[in-house]
Amino acid sequence: MADVEVESALTPVDPPASKSRSTWRSIGVIVVLIGVVVVLLSQGLLSSLNYFETVDQALGQRTSLGTKVIRLEGVVEPGTISRTNSGASFTLTGSGTHHVFVTAQGSPPQLFQANIPVVVVGHFVSTTSLSFAGTQIMVKHSSSYIAAHPNRVKAPNGTSR
Amino acid sequence: MIMLSRRLLGPVTLLLLALTFWLGLWITPPDAVQGNLVRLLYVHPPIAWVALYVSFGTATIASCLYLWKRTRSDVMDRIAHCAMEVSVVFIALTLITGSIWGRPTWGVWWAWDARLTSTAILGVFALAYLALRRANDDPTLRARRSAVFAILTAINVPIIHFSVQWWKTLHQGASVLTSNGTLNVHGSMLWTMLIGFVGFTLLFFWLLRYRYRLEVKRDLKVADAVVEALALRRREGV
Repeated sequence: MADVEVESALTPVDPPASKSRSTWRSIGVIVVLIGVVVVLLSQGLLSSLNYFETVDQALGQRTSLGTKVIRLEGVVEPGTISRTNSGASFTLTGSGTHHVFVTAQGSPPQLFQANIPVVVVGHFVSTTSLSFAGTQIMVKHSSSYIAAHPNRVKAPNGTSR
Repeated sequence: MIMLSRRLLGPVTLLLLALTFWLGLWITPPDAVQGNLVRLLYVHPPIAWVALYVSFGTATIASCLYLWKRTRSDVMDRIAHCAMEVSVVFIALTLITGSIWGRPTWGVWWAWDARLTSTAILGVFALAYLALRRANDDPTLRARRSAVFAILTAINVPIIHFSVQWWKTLHQGASVLTSNGTLNVHGSMLWTMLIGFVGFTLLFFWLLRYRYRLEVKRDLKVADAVVEALALRRREGV
């Protein structure tokens, strides 16, 4: 009887299943991660790897674009901004030779002004028109930062004029 | 020398951050285009620098050192874990400060362009790293899997960096680390921003240091609990 007890005490015991449990949990984390990344990519990169079409590109693809909603990028031409009751109208220019007239709904952003690049969400009014109906204006400001009035004259006591 | 630098880390960090905020809010001029909105320049890019390169980079390098047999140790695993935790905080701050800056400048809180989307994905990767660590009970297995994961997800960092060059994005291009080496920030705005870079980098190391100490104490507590449990079993005669 004692021999049987000693023998059962020495019988190898299977290790707890912690390693396989950890593996399944790790797989679970990876599966959730892949799902989240796919969702983010479908919102972002896959549908709009290039976030906008430039004026030149949009006019080059005019026939295929039709009245599809796109994001149109261009520089606001000076002297063309006109504020309306529902938003603003202005002309976007591409490389200088191509222009698109935009009528946008909603208040433009704070930095909206002439000679600034903007991205307008909207669509061409018709399949042949060069007028663009915008629903949202975004300003694409540059990466240059320069002090306002850098040549401001300083008085002898150090104050600026 | 090391003791002195440890003691000075906190006060120097505080001093540089205070200097950044003072210069950024009161001394530097407004921008010619953005006006006073430019003052987020002294916060958002430094935080993004720490999130992408310093903290995620530290976690990746520590993971590489863990996987390399010559330098494999619990220290490297702890550093990788702690750096990734701090990285989550800085990535979240990058997205929040960027959003606060984007609303008045771009006109939107968020845009699904390549830069912003890939940064959000980096945040998801960092959270997944922490989840992966919680999913594994065995310390060696946990350390190894986490290290491999950190190295694989680090590929996202150069994607984020070059996204504004490879694709058309709403987010503007680089102002400091430009492709042709030019600096697009001028005068006092530049060196205030650089002081911010140094200040927030030191803040990361200060946070990492304290987080690491907490991790060591936690590991010691676990080890003590194991020793106590074994002693209890022996007293019970099992």
